[in-house]
Amino acid sequence: MTELLRADNLVKAFGSEGGFHIGARKQPVRAVNGVSFSVTTGETLAVVGESGCGKSTLGRLLLRLIEPTEGQVHIGGVDVTQMSAAELRAARRQMQMVFQDPYGSLSPRRTVAEIIAEPLEVFGIVKTRQERRERVAELLEQVGLPPTLMDRHPRQFSGGQRQRIGIARAIALNPDFIVADEPVSALDVSVQAQIVNLLQDLQEAKGFSYFFIAHDLAVVRHIADRVMVMYLGRIVEIGPKRSIYTAPQHPYTQALLSAAPEPDVKKRTKRIILSGDVPSPSNVPPGCSFHTRCPLAQEQCRQVRPELREVAPGQTAACHFAEPNPIKLPVSAPAYAS
Amino acid sequence: MTSLDQPVEAVRPTRTLLENVTATFIGRPSMIFAAVVILTFIAIALFAPLLAPYDPLAQSYLVINAYPSAEHWLGTDQFGRDVLSRLIYGSRNSMIFGITAPIIAALVGTTLGVVAGYFGGIFDRLVTRMIDLLLAFPDLLLAIIISAALGGGFWNILAVLSIAFVPGFARVARASTLAVKQEPYVEASVAVGLRTPLIILRHVVPNIAAPVVVLMTLWVASAIRLEAALSFLGLGTRPPYPSWGNIIRDGLNNIFGSPWPIIGAGFAITLVVLSFNMIGDAVRDLLDPEIGQ
Amino acid sequence: MTRPLLKISDVSVEFGPKANAIRVVDSVSFSIGAGEAVGLVGESGSGKSITSLSILRLIPDPPGRIVSGSIEFEGQDLLKLPANRMPEIRGRDIAMIFQEPMSSLNPVMTIGDQIAEALMLHQDLDRDARWQRVIEVLSLVGMPDPAARLGAFPHEFSGGMRQRVMIAMAVACNPKLLIADEPTTALDVTIQAQVLELMKSIRASVNTAILLISHDLGVIADLCERVVVMYSGRIVEEGSVESIFSKPEHPYTRGLLQSIPRLDDDRKRLYQIAGTVPMAGSVKKGCPFYARCDLRVDKCAAEMPPMFEFSKQHKAACWVTGEAEQ
Repeated sequence: MTELLRADNLVKAFGSEGGFHIGARKQPVRAVNGVSFSVTTGETLAVVGESGCGKSTLGRLLLRLIEPTEGQVHIGGVDVTQMSAAELRAARRQMQMVFQDPYGSLSPRRTVAEIIAEPLEVFGIVKTRQERRERVAELLEQVGLPPTLMDRHPRQFSGGQRQRIGIARAIALNPDFIVADEPVSALDVSVQAQIVNLLQDLQEAKGFSYFFIAHDLAVVRHIADRVMVMYLGRIVEIGPKRSIYTAPQHPYTQALLSAAPEPDVKKRTKRIILSGDVPSPSNVPPGCSFHTRCPLAQEQCRQVRPELREVAPGQTAACHFAEPNPIKLPVSAPAYAS
Repeated sequence: MTSLDQPVEAVRPTRTLLENVTATFIGRPSMIFAAVVILTFIAIALFAPLLAPYDPLAQSYLVINAYPSAEHWLGTDQFGRDVLSRLIYGSRNSMIFGITAPIIAALVGTTLGVVAGYFGGIFDRLVTRMIDLLLAFPDLLLAIIISAALGGGFWNILAVLSIAFVPGFARVARASTLAVKQEPYVEASVAVGLRTPLIILRHVVPNIAAPVVVLMTLWVASAIRLEAALSFLGLGTRPPYPSWGNIIRDGLNNIFGSPWPIIGAGFAITLVVLSFNMIGDAVRDLLDPEIGQ
Repeated sequence: MTRPLLKISDVSVEFGPKANAIRVVDSVSFSIGAGEAVGLVGESGSGKSITSLSILRLIPDPPGRIVSGSIEFEGQDLLKLPANRMPEIRGRDIAMIFQEPMSSLNPVMTIGDQIAEALMLHQDLDRDARWQRVIEVLSLVGMPDPAARLGAFPHEFSGGMRQRVMIAMAVACNPKLLIADEPTTALDVTIQAQVLELMKSIRASVNTAILLISHDLGVIADLCERVVVMYSGRIVEEGSVESIFSKPEHPYTRGLLQSIPRLDDDRKRLYQIAGTVPMAGSVKKGCPFYARCDLRVDKCAAEMPPMFEFSKQHKAACWVTGEAEQ
């Protein structure tokens, strides 16, 4: 297992740009705040968290679709954050993205063939029209769409089919690394499984790594090798899938796992209900940023921010109380008996 | 490798641009009317020397303020000039200004607007301030100020009309660009490594084209009206050369002598302006990717 | 069992011009007992939202219209009621909460005024009693320090809190039926858990019946006693949550339940239903699931199956499983 990507202390602050401001200067929002991790070749690292946790921003930082405020991203040993515009464009051949919105991410006025062939043209991989059509047909087949549809426009396809087109575009260059930004959350339930399976099949065939952004822990369980949980711009827990799901250490991970409703009537009796809302990223609580909602919070948590520390082999968590024997959170009683 | 041989029944029937255009025309009798009117007037302007029964500048003291007759279908004015011939030659100025000025303004204004909207920064602030400044004046006032500074003549009038319309195009293009720039497909094209100029040409411009083209068809009408107004004020086409505007101006002084120049030119302007507005509406619907399914 | 609170019989809804109308809801029948929680589950284009809107006669007309059927609420057919009597029913007897808590609240009105307005329309209370009631329902939905928040505007609240305000507004008049259209879809998981918990406790305290519309089977399993499954404008399966989640009889429901990834399951590959969700009204003949079904036989393409009874509490519209059962 070789390291493919490494992120060191990534920070993205919004609203700190220069210029004239009338009235009080707004505090910059640190959407991503000191995040470090690595992804190995062929691995799927999933990142989960609620809205505002910075997971989407992080995905874009890795591909340098937005500029980091601090920190570095190395892909294949090369620092992406130091590349010139030309070097970065060349590096895009190795790193691609699948977007959340299958409707918005395909240019409405271009045909499927034009959309999928765009990366191929950028890198001069296809020269002639014939070559282009052959390669597009091949890619469409790989994502399970009939090549005969390549001259249609995106609006003629359903959400799931559009997502397949987006995936074909992302794999066209045989990248090493793909950021998948909630690729199934906009799709109908019966279509989600198709796309999850497709992403897995493609990975098996081509061996690339995924950085899989999701809010649905159940989907993550199926696709991830390792899972990273984020809260308010920071990693609160990261570890192998099995340990995250069976022995979560951070109280937030436990709550997240327990809050997801499952299509199983027997499961509805036990649930951890967190109080309150996710604080605004512009006003992150001091100490452990989770202390305002954490049922275990002590004085220490309000003062001192816990660092990530190893709690089990390969599993690290940022909680003062994390230890190999997982702490149990209070579980709410069912509100009614059925 | 994955094999997902599954029915793709949701794929909707496709419609080509031609079919869309045909459907738009057949669906709207007003479009046929507008197209016929405009093509007719373009033909009239092109073939004016062949069509005009008289020299539009030739004066004749024998037939001053004549009523319509077999010799002069729309009568004559106070100098005995044939009104029909003057209208036919006048259509040349009006149609040239009417079509060229919005095209020039659209090219310049859209370029400014797209560049300002896409890149932002200092250039954007400059362009925005300039647009605000120019839009603070009504277009007629603006045209009067500029033509007073530049003077008359064909090229100057064209410049005046174009400049008067640039801020409108720039503003619409900038606003649309700001919206399109946020679309995930623009980010997607950055992610595949496309160069910025190509991103703008392929993914931004086609998606802001609809409002720009609509604006252009609407402003054809405005340009004809504005040229007429300038000529009416004596700042446009210089007498004795005719344009629809100065035909009305001259006619107004002599309205009791002969109402035919005003009636004829007014009718021509109304007809052309109306037709271009109808086309503008149809083009808007045609360019909307979601309509026509 | 006594008369149900709401009885929908054979309701069909069409959209578009009469000549080539699209039937988005086709002969839908189900009922809700007093105090019962029923889940209406389906994907996009299944007609679940249109069905719920038709109960309150809120379908935009034109282009849509209810072409047949009856909707009896406490024995009275709402479809026969004169249009000007509907506002009395809406809000007082049947209340509705929507998916998007931001756009469903008036941004320039305080939340206190908005809840009070609902009360003013339907309940004869004097000013003081009304405000008392507003504070009461706000504390019922778990708003901290409700008296102090009366003058706050919607934008001052988070998404979860806004949804609580919506629920407060809906339950202010003690409705007999609460229709909730994807009430937690726009919310984060931990907030969704809070809102679901709130809806359970509200149900326990005011004994209102709930019709929960959702695409999320997890949410339905959590809150409801009975489920109605819709596909392409038709009801394909109906029954108690226990029987449907443990032994689904319609191939669509089976496929749906199998294709959902589970938290406690490491299967590498997910079960997948092939094909795409058909657009509403696009299947004119036979079973709408025919094209995607593993069990299909020729009969399915020709004729829409009736609802076969599998048990007293469980019906499904499938020729194959239904006839095997008989």
